[in-house]
Amino acid sequence: MVSGRLNSRERVLGLFQGQEIDPIPVFSGMGNVTVHGLEEHGWRFPEIHLDGYKMATAAASTPRLFGFDCAVVPFDMGVEAEALGCEVNYYAHHTDILYPTISGKLADKVEDLNVRVPEDLGGAGRVPVVTEAIRLLKEDLGDEVAIGAWVLGPFTLGGQIVDLDDLLKMSFKKPDLVNSVLEDLDRVLVALAGIYKEAGADYLTVREMGATGDVISPRLFGSLIRPHLERVLASIESPKILHICGDTNAIVEQMAQCGADAISVDQKNELAASRAKIGPDAIILGNLDPYGVLVEGRPEDVERSVREIIASGADAIWPGCDIWPTVPAENMEMLMTAARKFGGGR
Amino acid sequence: MVSEERDSEIMARLQKGVIEFDEDLVREASHEALEEGVDAYHAIMDGLAAGMDVVGELFSSKEYFVPEVLMCADALNVGSDILRPHVVRGEKSRVVGEVVIGTVEGDVHDIGKNLVKMMFEIAGFTVHDLGRDVPLDQFVEEQTRTDSDIVCLSAMMTTTMLGMKTAIEKLKAKNPDVKIMIGGAPVSAEIAAKWGADGYAPDAPNALQEALNMIKGLRELESQG
Repeated sequence: MVSGRLNSRERVLGLFQGQEIDPIPVFSGMGNVTVHGLEEHGWRFPEIHLDGYKMATAAASTPRLFGFDCAVVPFDMGVEAEALGCEVNYYAHHTDILYPTISGKLADKVEDLNVRVPEDLGGAGRVPVVTEAIRLLKEDLGDEVAIGAWVLGPFTLGGQIVDLDDLLKMSFKKPDLVNSVLEDLDRVLVALAGIYKEAGADYLTVREMGATGDVISPRLFGSLIRPHLERVLASIESPKILHICGDTNAIVEQMAQCGADAISVDQKNELAASRAKIGPDAIILGNLDPYGVLVEGRPEDVERSVREIIASGADAIWPGCDIWPTVPAENMEMLMTAARKFGGGR
Repeated sequence: MVSEERDSEIMARLQKGVIEFDEDLVREASHEALEEGVDAYHAIMDGLAAGMDVVGELFSSKEYFVPEVLMCADALNVGSDILRPHVVRGEKSRVVGEVVIGTVEGDVHDIGKNLVKMMFEIAGFTVHDLGRDVPLDQFVEEQTRTDSDIVCLSAMMTTTMLGMKTAIEKLKAKNPDVKIMIGGAPVSAEIAAKWGADGYAPDAPNALQEALNMIKGLRELESQG
């Protein structure tokens, strides 16, 4: 048993090395920027996606302000698609918090898709912004806090670059066609993960939210999605996490067999049942409701939720999605307090 | 006129075609219906839409997933394109209501919205589709312009559903009588109730049912007043 003297980075990396961490870490593989971090600099949300320094500073604010065990970049789902030539809307003049979206896809139909992998992926789109942010984070707090980065899963990236409606239908009607597209995307994502790792990311998360159990059947997950996740994860350096949100109850065993060092699920997952299914040794991260509890709940709701998650067998507390930026500061504080107080091993 | 037996046979074929996303079967059964003098509106509602009800059940019970539902919708549209021009304007096909629909700003996922729109059109609603990534004020403007009975808001991600809360507030402030339905992956009945929405739709057939209930409620209210 490794006890409380560990700093955040040691806590997170120790977990992936198979140590039993007491108390368990509170971190994420996804964005965790808050308005509290933005307010300090007077930055608006759209600014932090386009500038490496702002991105790093915003990501660093959550561990700095609340003691969160990690800093993670990027914040939006458009980086990969943009690097492949898609157009991104940053909602630049908006005062509300809106995440960037893809406003121009590569094609409407899967059969018209021609994925060209940029020769200089490290220089494409905002990849240099993200790598600069990772380098800055590594320099500034790399000794104390774990630095995370993430990429989309191949199927989810597919849904960003081509009309999702057609991708879903073709997955059923012409799986070979979809397969060949996903193979191209596998290579892009492995290369990008390598670039992020080289820039200094301590761990990497693959977010395959498009292949959730709310959208496609467990059978299709097994025949079409899983082989690509296996291929991508096999080529990414550890530690690596597979995250899928939504209803993952019917696919959690398959998730655990994709080759990640840990899996992450959201609040729709029945965590105790999943723990029973995948056994005591598999690392499972989860599954705090990032909006219903963390934003809308009171501190006592956050505390209760953290205790339930620990009792259900999570190895670390992870929000089920990006932390929603307007999270009340007292809820973030309670998240950390409760996890430190009740997270004594499992 | 066809016999009752033949009529139910045609309805069953239309339903089967939709349920099994068999576009050829739907096409064939739709033409049969027209050739044999079956009322087109009846064929749409009790054939195609009834099939989509079963699809909704299959989706709820996790036998069908989104790709299957999309293929069923394609089959339904094949039939609708054939039958719709033959609907006799009359009592049965009167416009049952007007709906404004769209995906809230920040969200570019419109699969759910398109399915709900299709169900409304099938049922004879006039649908004002604002598309996806729609600025919140546009919902208010369009509702005011069209005096629609219902506004449907859709969001597919946790990070975008919050816009619906603001939109509900704006819509209710402008027109307290408008009925608002919200739907999408991260939305739950609890959230819908908490934000003051009148309806919540876990899927397209349920959205239609919910809308018809809301319209019925509105009409009853009007007739009392």
